[in-house]
Amino acid sequence: MAMKPSDSRWLDWINVVLLVLAGMIVMTPTAWMILSSFKPSYEVIAFPPKLVFTPVIENYVTLSKQTPFLSYGINSLIVTFGSTVFGLLLGAPAAFVASWTRITWPAVVALMARMAPGTLFLLPWYVMFRQVDMIGSYWALILTHAVITLPIVIWVLLPYFDNIPRSIFEAAQVDGCSPFRIFRRIALPLVSSGLAVSAILAFVFSWNFFLFSLVLSNSQTKTLIAASFNFIGEGSTNWGGLMAAATIIALPPLILAAIVQRWLISGLTLGAVKG
Amino acid sequence: MRVEQNHRGQMAAMSMPALVFTVGMIAFPFLYTIWMSFQTYSSTGQVTGWGGDNYLRMAVDGQFWNGIWITLYLYVLSLVMQLVLGTGLALLLFRAKRLPGIVRSLFISPFMMPPVVAGMMWLVILDPSLGAANWILTSLGLPPSAWLASPVLVVPTLAMIDTWQWTPYVALIVLGGLQSLPPSVYEAAEIDGASRRAVFFRITLPLLLPTLVTAMILRSVDLLRFFDLIYITTQGGPSNHSMTLNIYGFRVGFEFFQLGYAGALMVTLSVLVLGAVMAFNRLRAAVEW
Repeated sequence: MAMKPSDSRWLDWINVVLLVLAGMIVMTPTAWMILSSFKPSYEVIAFPPKLVFTPVIENYVTLSKQTPFLSYGINSLIVTFGSTVFGLLLGAPAAFVASWTRITWPAVVALMARMAPGTLFLLPWYVMFRQVDMIGSYWALILTHAVITLPIVIWVLLPYFDNIPRSIFEAAQVDGCSPFRIFRRIALPLVSSGLAVSAILAFVFSWNFFLFSLVLSNSQTKTLIAASFNFIGEGSTNWGGLMAAATIIALPPLILAAIVQRWLISGLTLGAVKG
Repeated sequence: MRVEQNHRGQMAAMSMPALVFTVGMIAFPFLYTIWMSFQTYSSTGQVTGWGGDNYLRMAVDGQFWNGIWITLYLYVLSLVMQLVLGTGLALLLFRAKRLPGIVRSLFISPFMMPPVVAGMMWLVILDPSLGAANWILTSLGLPPSAWLASPVLVVPTLAMIDTWQWTPYVALIVLGGLQSLPPSVYEAAEIDGASRRAVFFRITLPLLLPTLVTAMILRSVDLLRFFDLIYITTQGGPSNHSMTLNIYGFRVGFEFFQLGYAGALMVTLSVLVLGAVMAFNRLRAAVEW
């Protein structure tokens, strides 16, 4: 652009300053949450808030002692892991077939599931699962969370399969390779990075999902996210514990997201944007 | 040919589990809800037949219209803030050229954390009596605010929290759009001596429109169904001032167990989402280059 170099220098500096400012706005609330979780109980509700304090792990200890936090965590892992595996098992072959034969229903249905409000599905599911006495079961949670994971798997994997040159498949077919074998031996290894990205995104979104377990879990199968609702009730007296719970719940998705950050945007925008 | 048939069979077998699951868990429930929404009930809640009772009830239900208003208010406010700030942030990131992984992770963190966690966190920060937000306000000499507990401020506050969460997402989408703009156009502009302002408004912005519309579609789908954050923080309160259509439908369904009426509300919300997506799709087709 037409301008003096010194002019551009200044703008670069302003740019950096503004970026640092934006970064601070983004980071501060989260940092505050983590900080509060390490405050002693009498200091966490001090007003004005204290910025300098001796960090303690008291809140985390109380959390594990006074609430079934660990079993909630295990429930979350079972549901999240189960629905991710379920989504991959169903979604990967479906995405492969959709890419090869150019059928569109998997993509369309995935989009529909992405657009409709969760309660729309939850109403009939509630009736259905009550009929077969499955409310509160792990399977009800895994199946409903698979409605989150399956579309993610299909949408993330479709472009990966589309990118494999068709000549590879055709050559394998000429050699007498069946579609099963082509999928298992050729296509899947070629999209292994796509599988990793889709698995991680499916895991994160299943972990984060609140609505279904809010209604379909019981006291035995309650996930961390659904349980956080209880923590808030108790949290009015115990902010430190609330922030400790929030920090632990946020940790898995944040770590996983950091791992796939480079592929995240194209995965999250259903391939509409190449990030 | 047998082999050919065999191939087709295997392809069908590979897509069959997903198809069965989709029909059972997505398509059938979808139709079931529509069906439920057209059932009529006696005063004791027994199904008596068919008709548009639920939809007629909706038309005269003040809470429904309140829900529509709150939904749209929250939607427009959040979308505008996120688009403006997101585009600004994208321009900053684009000028910075290099985006180290750690910085990208930082900007990703708000929208990859569970919305429920964001709600918990902001509840503590925005607490009217002991929260850090009011401490900042009072130390700046400003009056403290009730934030989520204020009937007037609850929607703007929710919009602010959502904007904190999702502006970086919009920014990264727009950044992707900026990076894909053809450099040749800028070289031509430079040769012609175009001003910085002219370059932005005459070149960058028009070329960026399809990306912006994509971001609008993606955010619209989430914003019109805004749920987790509200349910965690206010559950629609204070006195229904944040009762979006989605929250209202959920409460009608799972607190009052009026499944038919809740179904009608959810079908209406789905039509709203679908309408927005279709309108934006048209818009995108119009600004495509």
